[in-house]
Amino acid sequence: MSAREPLLKVDGLTVEFATLRHRLKVLEDVSLTVHPGEIVGLVGESGSGKSVTAMSVMGLLPDIARVAGGSIGFDGAELTGLSRKAMREMRGRDMAMIFQEPMTSLNPVHTVSFQIGEVLVEHFGATPAQAHAKAVELMAAVGIPDAARRALDYPHQLSGGMRQRVMIAMAVACQPKLLLADEPTTALDVTIQAQILDLMRSLRDQFNMAILMITHDLGVIAQMAERVVVMYAGQVVEEGTAAQIFDQPAHPYTRLLIRSIPSARHKSARLDAIPGSTPSAHAFPQGCRFHPRCPEAVDRCRTETQALHALPEGRSSRCWRSLEALQDAVAAS
Amino acid sequence: MRQVPVIGPIRRGLQSDFALRFRRSRNAMIGSVLVSIVLVVAIFAPWLAPYDYEQINMLAIWRPPGGEHLLGTDALGRDVFSRILIGARVSLTVAGSVLAITLTIGVTLGMIAGYFGGWAETIIMRTVDIIFAFPELILAILVAAVLGTGTTTVIIALSLVWWPGIARLTRSLVLSLREEMFVDAAIASGTRSWRILLRHLLPNIASPIIVRASVGVGFIIMAEATLSFLGIGVQEPTPTWGGMIRDGLAALRTDPHLALFTSLALAITIIGFNLLGDGLRDLLDPKVRDR
Repeated sequence: MSAREPLLKVDGLTVEFATLRHRLKVLEDVSLTVHPGEIVGLVGESGSGKSVTAMSVMGLLPDIARVAGGSIGFDGAELTGLSRKAMREMRGRDMAMIFQEPMTSLNPVHTVSFQIGEVLVEHFGATPAQAHAKAVELMAAVGIPDAARRALDYPHQLSGGMRQRVMIAMAVACQPKLLLADEPTTALDVTIQAQILDLMRSLRDQFNMAILMITHDLGVIAQMAERVVVMYAGQVVEEGTAAQIFDQPAHPYTRLLIRSIPSARHKSARLDAIPGSTPSAHAFPQGCRFHPRCPEAVDRCRTETQALHALPEGRSSRCWRSLEALQDAVAAS
Repeated sequence: MRQVPVIGPIRRGLQSDFALRFRRSRNAMIGSVLVSIVLVVAIFAPWLAPYDYEQINMLAIWRPPGGEHLLGTDALGRDVFSRILIGARVSLTVAGSVLAITLTIGVTLGMIAGYFGGWAETIIMRTVDIIFAFPELILAILVAAVLGTGTTTVIIALSLVWWPGIARLTRSLVLSLREEMFVDAAIASGTRSWRILLRHLLPNIASPIIVRASVGVGFIIMAEATLSFLGIGVQEPTPTWGGMIRDGLAALRTDPHLALFTSLALAITIIGFNLLGDGLRDLLDPKVRDR
């Protein structure tokens, strides 16, 4: 990896949710970096903490949440402890987010041009006419045909794919340095998915915008990401380049995740699912948090809390046996 | 030779289509015609009235409709038609002022309570609960009794009992909208809170509130009538529809025309506002716009 300064550097982030009776550590010691112009995939099952990580970066944690430790560095500034106003000014201008549900992410009573232009009015004080002109330009850039006409449409007049394009146009309007995409293609059908992913990649190239791609879809990650961060039960369990993760997964959880992708080549009668379910933040297991579902678990896993171990070639894993496993894999190949 | 039709630029904004859709909506059209008539009458009442509304003529009491007096005369020989025209002014002034005040206060406080929550919500909504705890009219009567009689008193008293309903409606609408993704999306793109409230939430809650307001006109005029009926509203000799219906009721068996025609004027006004409100609700929903 080059010695460039990372654009986003989350370091040892711990986030607590305070409920009436409990204090739940939903994120514990989460570290990840995103370099300028890089596409990083953040993978994990529901409840693994990927969205909370994104929300922490955006400063959009719910009121009951509290950053209990760690730091979030963005473009040379520290985001934890930043004032609400400073955080708000940064959102949309320097970092933008697109959401899973393009159907409901647009306001039904405004034209799409108004909604795309609003970001420019808010952050750059554009006049309505300038904002509209720029909105049409952006809509053309995200591949909406006949943009000048469609700009005056209301959201319900557009298809799901078109709406997601509008959301992306909104997100890139201010040319942010970082785009957080939270399951951007989950609600779309497969052909549209591919188009949207292509679009995001080409916008990345055009604007040199880094993308943190949050998804549980490993297929999307394989297509898009250069580096992958795997999360499980509020922790990062493995980090590496896409090639490393897919070819030689170091953590047993990652291995099982990859095996659970249905494949046309390896026919098996049943889908390889990971047994059990993600533990809730009320009851994270002692020791390694994955041990109850891990086929390779031994006594040490049940008792010893695992730290993120650095492995060769800049990767890391939260399994004490990873180094061993990697060497075995290398020896076997 | 046929002329090639010139196709103008396609405009599909809210403003350009609104007039067209408005004309197609029967409710909105009828409602707006009725409301316009009432408003014109109210504004030009002094010039339209054939008689002085205060002019007492003891030689012509309880004249039936027709003849010299179009709608007859009342117990003091005053021209009923003239008094209905002037009464429209008072009734509509009260209704308009009460609506303006209650909508401003109710929508503002309701949005703050629903959007920000916390202690602001607690203070606002508990105040609303306290006012709701009183029967509406009793509280209005209490306020009127404390402040003394007069048009301003009626407006203040009715506003005081009316804003909590608007605030509660607004809050509940905002609470459900607050969960919509587009609000999160607006927050995520760094939009200021006041802008989210005014540009994103207000247009979405406008239609139910407009409907509520248009229906409210009828209730407010009735409430004003009740206060006047009880003698703590607008005072004689200023005519109000409520006051006239009260006087007319006393003579209903012998001379029904006073109560009848005044009630008719009231009914037309209320129907007009209700139809207009209904029509507006349909017109303001972007999803039914293309029909």
